[in-house]
Amino acid sequence: MQQTKGKEKETHLLNLVLTAMAVGSLLLAGYVLATGQFKGGTDDLFLILVCLLAALLFAIVPFMWAYEQGYVTQFLDVGDEGETAAAHAHDAAHEHGITNKQNLVVWGALLVLTAVEVFLAYIQLNLTLMLIIVMGLSIIKAALIMAYFMHLKFERLSFVLTIVPALVVLLCLFAIFFPDSFRLHDLR
Amino acid sequence: MAEVRVQDVATDAATGEWGGGTFPYRVGHRKLGMWLFIMSDSLTFTALLIGYSYVRVASDTWPKPFQFSPSIIFSSLMTLVLLSSSLTMVMAVMAANRRKKRSARRWIIATMFLGSLFVILHGYEWKHLIEDEGVTPSGNQFMLARTYDDSGQVVNERVVHIRPEEASEMETETVNDQGQTVRYVQADRMFGAAFFGITGLHMFHVLTGVLYLGVIAARIKRFTAEDVEVSGLYWHFVDLVWMFVFPLIYLLSVDFTPH
Repeated sequence: MQQTKGKEKETHLLNLVLTAMAVGSLLLAGYVLATGQFKGGTDDLFLILVCLLAALLFAIVPFMWAYEQGYVTQFLDVGDEGETAAAHAHDAAHEHGITNKQNLVVWGALLVLTAVEVFLAYIQLNLTLMLIIVMGLSIIKAALIMAYFMHLKFERLSFVLTIVPALVVLLCLFAIFFPDSFRLHDLR
Repeated sequence: MAEVRVQDVATDAATGEWGGGTFPYRVGHRKLGMWLFIMSDSLTFTALLIGYSYVRVASDTWPKPFQFSPSIIFSSLMTLVLLSSSLTMVMAVMAANRRKKRSARRWIIATMFLGSLFVILHGYEWKHLIEDEGVTPSGNQFMLARTYDDSGQVVNERVVHIRPEEASEMETETVNDQGQTVRYVQADRMFGAAFFGITGLHMFHVLTGVLYLGVIAARIKRFTAEDVEVSGLYWHFVDLVWMFVFPLIYLLSVDFTPH
């Protein structure tokens, strides 16, 4: 029981720090918007996007903790003890729920998205727009593969929330460094 | 030292989403290990792809040498092959889960076949670029032929392949039939390094995957459904990386000029 008490303290500290960082990220995004520095250029868009994504990521753990403690359901005033217990049981029971038909549909969707990308290459959009659209489509394809073929959709939420944020951070890395490449042209 | 008891696993549902216990995430250590490896490997690929995209966008003279035939047809075919191999892998995992090991083995062999086909097609692409176009990791023999109009704007850009013997003798500025200036400028030397580096690393992953699947298929009687699923995860990861490599490397460098 000693252990639990110490663990509680740690949990509270963790939640506090992460909530502070989430709020800080939101404030940073707000600051950029409010002080008129937002001119709609790629720099600003990427910075706002990264701040919002970071806020979302930081907020995951405190939010999950609050959900576990029942604060979220209390707040939303939905369901009772029975429902949350049923939700847990549902999680555990939902094993390999994918059917052959679903596999084929996902495969078909991937082929269609690939065809769209090849088509986009042929209508000769400008490079920046092409890059953004193609990255967006590729992310959708990646999400489909991860959710259905790699079975993430049927894993526990905690597992998904451990894997996916890492990949979101990769996207943030991409987004935060990219505006420099657009600028490099003019700096020469 | 606490020993693993059946009750530990059974009470996991009661300890909540992050309870963990002796069976964290309810996923088993092999699967968790493979996912962690996938996360780290995706960092590697992302670093390479970010680096490539950065240089590509920032460069004035990036060659766009991929014509519809053979490059785009081949690479689209390769994408189709890899996506199909993911499908066969999913079938293999499902068969393994239903304890149909012989069926799972057949599906895995189908996946290996498609993966090998991918490598062969890609090798053909490499051969074309290395032998016919002289692309190496440190340079290439591409030149960009830019046609300028009277106001100095570029109206057309073509990638031409100039062999080194010809390059020393050619004019860097000529006038075409319509009286427009055509300037020849050397294509960015990073093209080869980016192309071979990224596609090479991906090809290495595909080859390793085929070997890995081969081991699983050969000794499938000794492996559990979980092992098949874990190898499936690796294979889908390889496919996933290609989903990003294909558009960023091929589709952003399509050669539109009529040849």
